Amino acid sequence: MTGLALRSLRRRASAFTATFLAVFLGAALLMSFGAMLDVAGDATGTARNTLLTVGLVVGGWGLLLVAFAVTSTQSLAVRQRAEEIALLRSAGATPGQVARMIIAECLLVAVAGGVLAIVPGWALGHGVLALMHDGAMVPETVGYAFGPCALGVGLGVTFASALTGGVFAARRAVRGTTVASGDEAGGLGRGRIIAAAVLLAAASGEAVTTATVMRGKGLDAMATSGQADIVAALALALLAPALVGGAARALAGPLRALGAVGDLVLAGLARRSRRLAAVVLPIILFTGIGIGTLHLQATENAASAGRAASADDRSVEVLNLVVIGMIILFAAIMLVNTLVAAVADRRREFGQQRLAGAAPGQVLAAVAVESAVLAALGIAAGTVASAFTSVPFAVARTGSALPAGGPLIFVGVAALAVVLTGGTAWLAARRALRAPAVAAVA
Amino acid sequence: MSGREHTGRGEAPREALRLENVGKVHGTDGNRVRALAGVSLRLAAGTFTAVMGPSGSGKSTLLQCAAGLDRPTEGRVFLAGAELAGRSEAALTRFRRERVGFVFQRFNLLPTLTVLQNVLLPAKLAGRRANRAAAADILARVGLGDRLHHLPAELSGGQQQRVAIARALVTAPDVVFADEPTGALDLRSARDVLALLSEAVRVHGRTVVMVTHDPVAASYADRVVFLADGALAGSLDAPTAEAVAERMTRLAAAVERGAAA
Repeated sequence: MTGLALRSLRRRASAFTATFLAVFLGAALLMSFGAMLDVAGDATGTARNTLLTVGLVVGGWGLLLVAFAVTSTQSLAVRQRAEEIALLRSAGATPGQVARMIIAECLLVAVAGGVLAIVPGWALGHGVLALMHDGAMVPETVGYAFGPCALGVGLGVTFASALTGGVFAARRAVRGTTVASGDEAGGLGRGRIIAAAVLLAAASGEAVTTATVMRGKGLDAMATSGQADIVAALALALLAPALVGGAARALAGPLRALGAVGDLVLAGLARRSRRLAAVVLPIILFTGIGIGTLHLQATENAASAGRAASADDRSVEVLNLVVIGMIILFAAIMLVNTLVAAVADRRREFGQQRLAGAAPGQVLAAVAVESAVLAALGIAAGTVASAFTSVPFAVARTGSALPAGGPLIFVGVAALAVVLTGGTAWLAARRALRAPAVAAVA
Repeated sequence: MSGREHTGRGEAPREALRLENVGKVHGTDGNRVRALAGVSLRLAAGTFTAVMGPSGSGKSTLLQCAAGLDRPTEGRVFLAGAELAGRSEAALTRFRRERVGFVFQRFNLLPTLTVLQNVLLPAKLAGRRANRAAAADILARVGLGDRLHHLPAELSGGQQQRVAIARALVTAPDVVFADEPTGALDLRSARDVLALLSEAVRVHGRTVVMVTHDPVAASYADRVVFLADGALAGSLDAPTAEAVAERMTRLAAAVERGAAA
C-alpha cells in the first residue's frame, strides 16, 4: 500500500498542501525555539535559565498548536477523500490496507515538510537569539547553536502529530460502511469530551492560580497566565463540532428568513458540522491567543506605568510580542490554509447548486453568510478563551478584573479574523466557481 | 403544475426548442476538437425526443448547448422562442431555472438537503414562495410521498433519480433535458424513470429531450435523432428498440469505416 500512497500523493499534490504547510511551518516554529535549548548548553546562570524557559514554555505551547494543526488538516484531507476511500474499499481493499495507505501518506508528507523546515527553522532560531542578545537577556558571548534539541523537538513533534493524525483519520475512514453519507453531523466522541474537559480544567487551574497565588507577584504572574488562553482555546476547539451544531439550531429561524441562500447555509451547518469545525478551530486559536496576549501585555504596561520601564521589562515585552506574533501568524496561516482546502473541495457541491438553479452570486452569498457565522462563532469562543489569561492577570497585577487595553484590542483582532476568514473563503469560492457547472460535477 | 400548460387546441404545435446551425469547437488554436458541426433541429412542445449516437458523437455537447449549460461557438439556440446567446452567466442561470429542468446520470441532488428541500430549492432560488403542497404532490406522483424528509444518501439510485425528475418538473419548465438518466440504474428502476418521463410528456404536456445510448430507453420517445461525428445522421419516428439498435449498429460501422478511410 506504500506504493499506492506514493502514487496518490503525486496525483493529488494539492490535496496534501494544507497538511504539508502545517507540518512545514510548525516544524520551523518548533525548531527555532528548540534551538534555544541547544544554545542553553553553552550558557550559565540567568541567561541559561532564560533560554531554558523560553525554549520549554514556547516550545510547549507551540507543540500543542502544531500537533493540533497537523492533526486537523490531516483529518480534513482524509474526510474530503471519503468517496475515493469508499471506492478503494469496494474494489477490495481491506480496512487495514486503507489505514496503512492513509498513515503512509501522512508520514511521507510529514517527512517532506519536516526536512524542508530545517533551514528556515535554523534561520528563525538565529533571529530569536538575536532578539535576546539585543534585549541583553543573553550575553553576546553565548553563540548560536542548532543541534539535537532543535531537530529532536521539531521533527519529533511533527512526526508524532502526523502519525497520531494519520491513525485517527485512518480509523475514522475505515469505520462503518463503504458508502459515503450525506449526513456527517454526529455528536462528540467520548475521548474528545474528556480531552476538552481536562484542558478546560487545566486552563481554569492556571487562571485561579494567577488570580490568587500570583497576586501582587508582578511579572511572575505572566508565567502562569500566559498559556491559559492557549489551553482554553484548544479545549473549545475540540468542542467546535458541537458549537457549529448549536449555531445551526440557534440560527435556524434567521437563516430560513434569508430564503434559499439561508437554507443552503443552514443545511451545511447542520449536516457538515465536523467539516466546518475544522475551519472554526484556527479562528478560535487565532482570536483566543491574540486577544488574550495583547490584553496581558497592555495590563502589564499599565501596571508598570508608574515607574520607568527597565531594560528587563522592555525585552520581556519585545520577546512576548515576537513569540505571540509567530504563534498568531501560524494560526492565521492555518486559518487561510484550512479554508482554501475546505472551499476548493466544494467545487462539486457548488456545481450541483448551480445546476439546481443557483446563480454564481447566490453561491457566493451562501459562502459569505456561512463564513460570517463561522467567524462569529470562532471569535465568540476565542474571546471566552482569552479571558482565561487576561482577567486573572489583571486581577493579579492591578486588582481589577478588567484588563487594560480597552475594546480596541478585541475589535482589531476580531476584524482581522473576519477579514481573513471572509476574504479567503470569498477568493477560494470564486476560483471554485470558474469552471462551468457541468464540468464541476463531472 | 400551473402556467404554461400545453394547450393542444389543434393549431400548429408550439415550438419548444430550435437549433440553427449550431457548432461547438473545444480547445484553443493548437489543439482544436470539433464536437458539433452545423446542427439544426426543431422540436415541438409536448414531444419526447431521444438523442443517440456512438461515444464521442457530441450527444452531451448538443444537450448542454441546447440547455444553456454550455455556449456554442457558432449558430443560435432558441428555447421557447427566446434566444440564449449574449446572456451573462447569472442571466443564463435565471433563464434556466425558469424555463429548463435537468435530469443527470449522477442525479446531482444536494447531499445536505432532504428530498423535499431538494425539490423546493429551484423555486426558492428564483425568489418565489415555495409551494410545499405542489412539491409534496409531485413527489407522491413519483412514488416518494413517504420519503420527503430523507437525505439523498438514504435512498436507492432509482429513488434519487425520481427525486431529480420531481425537481426538474416542479417548476413547469418549457423543456426537460435528461443526460443518460438511466445510465446508473438497474433495469427495473430505469423502467420507472422512463415511464415517469413519458408520463410528463403524455399526461402533463412537458417537452423532454433525452440523451441515451440504450435503444430500449430510446424506444420510449416519439422520435429518435441520431448523431455521428458531431453532425445529425437521420432520425426515426415512433421507434422500436430493435429498429434503433439496428440503426445504431449501422451508424457505428459507418463511423468506423470513416475513421479507417
